[in-house]
Amino acid sequence: MSTVGTAEGLRPRERAAKSISPSRVLDCFALGSWAAVFWFLLVADRTSLYLSSRTAWVVPTGAILLTVGFLGRLLSIRSEQPRPITARSAWGIGLIVLPVITVLALPPASLGSYAASRRSTFSSGGIVSSAGDIAEGDLSLIDVAGGLRSREGVDALVERAGEEVDFTGFVTKDPGAPADEFMLTRFLVSCCVADALSVNVRVVGAPPGRFKADEWVRVSGRFYPLGRDVIVDSSDIVNVERPKRPYLSP
Amino acid sequence: MQSPAVDTRLEGGYRYAGFMALALVAFGAALFVFDPANVAGVQNFFLVFGSLLIEAFPFILLGALVSAAIEVFVPVSVFEKLTLLPKPLQLPAAGLAGAAFPVCECGSVPVARRLIIKGLMPSAAVTFMLAAPVLNPIVIASTVVAYRGRDILWPMVLGRAGLGFLVAMAVGYVISDESKEQLLRNRSGRSKIPEHEHEPSSSSTDSRARTKVTSFFGHLSGDFVFMGRFLVIGAMVAAALQTFVPQSVIGGVAGTPVINILAMMGLAFLLSLCSESDAFVAASFVQFGVGGQLAFLVFGPMVDTKLGILYGATFRQGFFRTVVIVVTAGTLVGCLWIEVLFG
Repeated sequence: MSTVGTAEGLRPRERAAKSISPSRVLDCFALGSWAAVFWFLLVADRTSLYLSSRTAWVVPTGAILLTVGFLGRLLSIRSEQPRPITARSAWGIGLIVLPVITVLALPPASLGSYAASRRSTFSSGGIVSSAGDIAEGDLSLIDVAGGLRSREGVDALVERAGEEVDFTGFVTKDPGAPADEFMLTRFLVSCCVADALSVNVRVVGAPPGRFKADEWVRVSGRFYPLGRDVIVDSSDIVNVERPKRPYLSP
Repeated sequence: MQSPAVDTRLEGGYRYAGFMALALVAFGAALFVFDPANVAGVQNFFLVFGSLLIEAFPFILLGALVSAAIEVFVPVSVFEKLTLLPKPLQLPAAGLAGAAFPVCECGSVPVARRLIIKGLMPSAAVTFMLAAPVLNPIVIASTVVAYRGRDILWPMVLGRAGLGFLVAMAVGYVISDESKEQLLRNRSGRSKIPEHEHEPSSSSTDSRARTKVTSFFGHLSGDFVFMGRFLVIGAMVAAALQTFVPQSVIGGVAGTPVINILAMMGLAFLLSLCSESDAFVAASFVQFGVGGQLAFLVFGPMVDTKLGILYGATFRQGFFRTVVIVVTAGTLVGCLWIEVLFG
């Protein structure tokens, strides 16, 4: 290692020899992979498969920060004391990059009836439509979800009983239910899919056996709130593609 | 001149990286070929796993960024001034400082570690770390929104902030005698916790600004890589629990006093939710009453699967146990009181 000269006296080329440090290469790989996955989510518009619209800002922020981190590490990849990669550090980085692989390799998908059987139903009355919102305009599944949880909401829903509605969701089968019934389910996501809670309405009058679990459908019919349930007496059910934004945001 | 021995080591290093890369490619190919959509539980697992990390990684990076900035740009003298505060004020001040740090709880762990290394009293740093996820304005706002229109709104919001603050200080108080060396775990190789960490390559021939920037990115990537691997493990466990343990499993104890509060704490541990959104999930457990829901909201941001693994990697053995005991006891007592007053 050269000891000639001082910091102020040397030009960059004359400094002590530096070579690429393998451990920093690995750091770049980790940062770069995660930056790539966030850019992928943005470009392929897949953010809504993982996050609520409230937290979607995390993706571009992460993309930019990780890119900055990656570039910063890349520009300082040379070191006078390069550190080798140990087996342990390699597997540690492998672990960090593993989720990147799962997000990139898996086809786009959303939570379905399996998750619905394991998760609680949305019960927070506060965020969703007030009774005033329920009283006017088109009814949405969020109105249904929130409405059932407060006295005023229930009253507002009862006022509109019998009206025509259009709900989109996926089919969930209740084991004991008759063949011409199914639950129409949608998930509400506040932050990320991990906190998903379900909203359900009971669809009756469906063609028996025609719709399988996890199929996305649009149900048109008249709705009737009944205790803790909302029943939709269907007049028309059509298969639809999974929506671009499969999760609702409260 | 590099000796042959160094060259051999470097050679061996890239070999490990090569194996790792091959393993990742094989895993990706397997996922692609054996489409897990056919197995509902597996797809559910990967969706929850991916979403937990997509949400958390930017915050880990933010935490690493703040931590690196503290290390490189904040002089030690600032922390020395903080320790001049009268002792009884140090923990409350640290707790309240948490309100200025609106980051998912994972982000506060690397920052706390850095504060301790820089010389902040360990108990104050721990109080800050535990209080930040409960006191920050985003969390308070989302709690307000989740409970709006319900008559337990103010007990929940104020109870969460107040009880969280007290419990964080209680943990700080319990570990108040521990020094930096007793508290922090060494990262691989070092024999003791350094006064502040040097990047081994910073040499006196670099200009000062370049050294700082290089050092900054060195610490940033170091913290990111260190925390990231444990976050991934935590997310795996949390996703597995969410996939295989139905949330209704605790429904049976909703009416039983004390047990219902402990059950909600257990659920918070399993679900490992971000404190910015857990209020909506807590609110969905209407059958559990104020005490149970509050326990979920106070316990979760301080102790959960993800955090447990991060704490285990950052702090010495025994720290996590201490935190669990103090937080459980404090939350239980506090929630029982609130249940009595407002239930």
